[in-house]
Amino acid sequence: MTPALFVQSAIIGVSLGSIYILMALGLTLMFGMMHIINFAHGAVYMLGAFVIYYVFFQGGMPYFVAFVASMVLLGIFGYLVERSIYRPIKGGIEPTLVALLALTTFLQAAGYPVFGQLDKHVPPVFPGTRNILGVGISIERLMIIPVAAALVIGLYLFINNTRLGAAMRAIEQDKEAAALQGVNVHVVNGLAFAIGFALAAASGALMAPIFKLDPMMGEQPLLKAFIIIILGGLGSIPGAILGGLMLGLIDSIVATALGAEPAFLLSFVFIIMLLLFRPTGLFGYAS
Amino acid sequence: MLEVENLWVRYGTVEAVKGVSFSVPAGSIVSLIGANGAGKTTSLRALTGLVKPGAGELRFGSTSLVGLAPHQVVGLGIAHVPEGRRLFPKMTVLENLTMGAYRRSRADVASTLIMVYEHFPILKERGRQLAGSLSGGEQQMLAIARALMSRPKLLLLDEPSMGLSPIMTAEVGKIIRQINALDVSIILVEQNAMLALTLAQYGYVLQTGQLVMQGKAQDLLRDEGVKKAYLGL
Repeated sequence: MTPALFVQSAIIGVSLGSIYILMALGLTLMFGMMHIINFAHGAVYMLGAFVIYYVFFQGGMPYFVAFVASMVLLGIFGYLVERSIYRPIKGGIEPTLVALLALTTFLQAAGYPVFGQLDKHVPPVFPGTRNILGVGISIERLMIIPVAAALVIGLYLFINNTRLGAAMRAIEQDKEAAALQGVNVHVVNGLAFAIGFALAAASGALMAPIFKLDPMMGEQPLLKAFIIIILGGLGSIPGAILGGLMLGLIDSIVATALGAEPAFLLSFVFIIMLLLFRPTGLFGYAS
Repeated sequence: MLEVENLWVRYGTVEAVKGVSFSVPAGSIVSLIGANGAGKTTSLRALTGLVKPGAGELRFGSTSLVGLAPHQVVGLGIAHVPEGRRLFPKMTVLENLTMGAYRRSRADVASTLIMVYEHFPILKERGRQLAGSLSGGEQQMLAIARALMSRPKLLLLDEPSMGLSPIMTAEVGKIIRQINALDVSIILVEQNAMLALTLAQYGYVLQTGQLVMQGKAQDLLRDEGVKKAYLGL
């Protein structure tokens, strides 16, 4: 591998990692607070991408408007899922998981008649390449990095500096004690659903101009996000960020050097090795 | 101020509280004593909406508490320090206190914090420390202080002396008196019946979910049955 190729695949790795991080953050946030794994996260990613297809490409609206619409619409959807699925189940973890799995299957199956059988494509938003250290990198992929960074920083500030953010941290540490301080746990859980769904939609929306769109497109990113939150430690936000970057780099650099299948295999080998030495993940702790 | 009438609570098939009634006059300390499993903790949990009563009436002033969620009960002016303190261990002392005032305005929080620090100067010193790193006694102080941050009219204390040294237990007793002097009514649940009956004006004795005795605290302290069963005398 030449140095130029290495630089190129490293930058693409960070870009890919940014997408993974946006997916994993919501998953880990929801797991930390409610101990559920949101299987529907991949389907939300897919819907987030299709909002771009319809609002930006078909509707002719500016990309920025479509991007915000994607996050807002799916954020609202997330809140409604809390209201109509999670809340009525009253904290039952297994029934919630089965219900979320059913929701995923429904959204994917409904995708074919609604969106059509053929793959969809969104034209580039930022065409062309940019020269970095002598290698050309697609601007589309580069732009993902600052957008994801802004969202991550925004989430971090929200969780650490606002009253609702404090309520989210309180629920994560002791749900009942949070309720006894006056936190409306249902509403704050709903907010976590909304944030998680909005971030998954954002990653789908960022990837829409790069990959083809089809109803199953969320499966691969969902699997990556699962790996990342286990790697980073379930419920840990710093863990999701570091884990996402690591997996993005492995996927890009190893895939460039050895091909996509070895990269897939290697990421699992890497995680199994890490978990052998640190069973709770990078930032996880035994409960 | 608080009236509990014929409270029944069931966990699965087990009746934890079977027709308990008690009342808390405004400004008083009332204590519920009894062994493990007598239904004391469950009675408190029913008051703040953490468990749903099977039957019974719970009235705070003229408001019924039945069917309210915990955050609504807090809003009425009832604060609950649960068994085991239940602090937020990964938050600082100050963040824990701020959580206690979750439903109050920022200006209120600042003035209440000054009042709370007067009673608990140690917490001011430890403000930036994580709650999980405090000693047992300090954690109990923080749990009580956090509850005071909501400016309650009624404070429910569940086993505040649990796991504390005799010196710390005496300290907690002193604090409970100070809080009561601020016109906060208190329900004190204790296995340490001596502490509970020394602090309270009125006491209720619970046994396997039922009320077996009640009376003025000083009379209960002199009662032969209570002495034998709960005071170890």
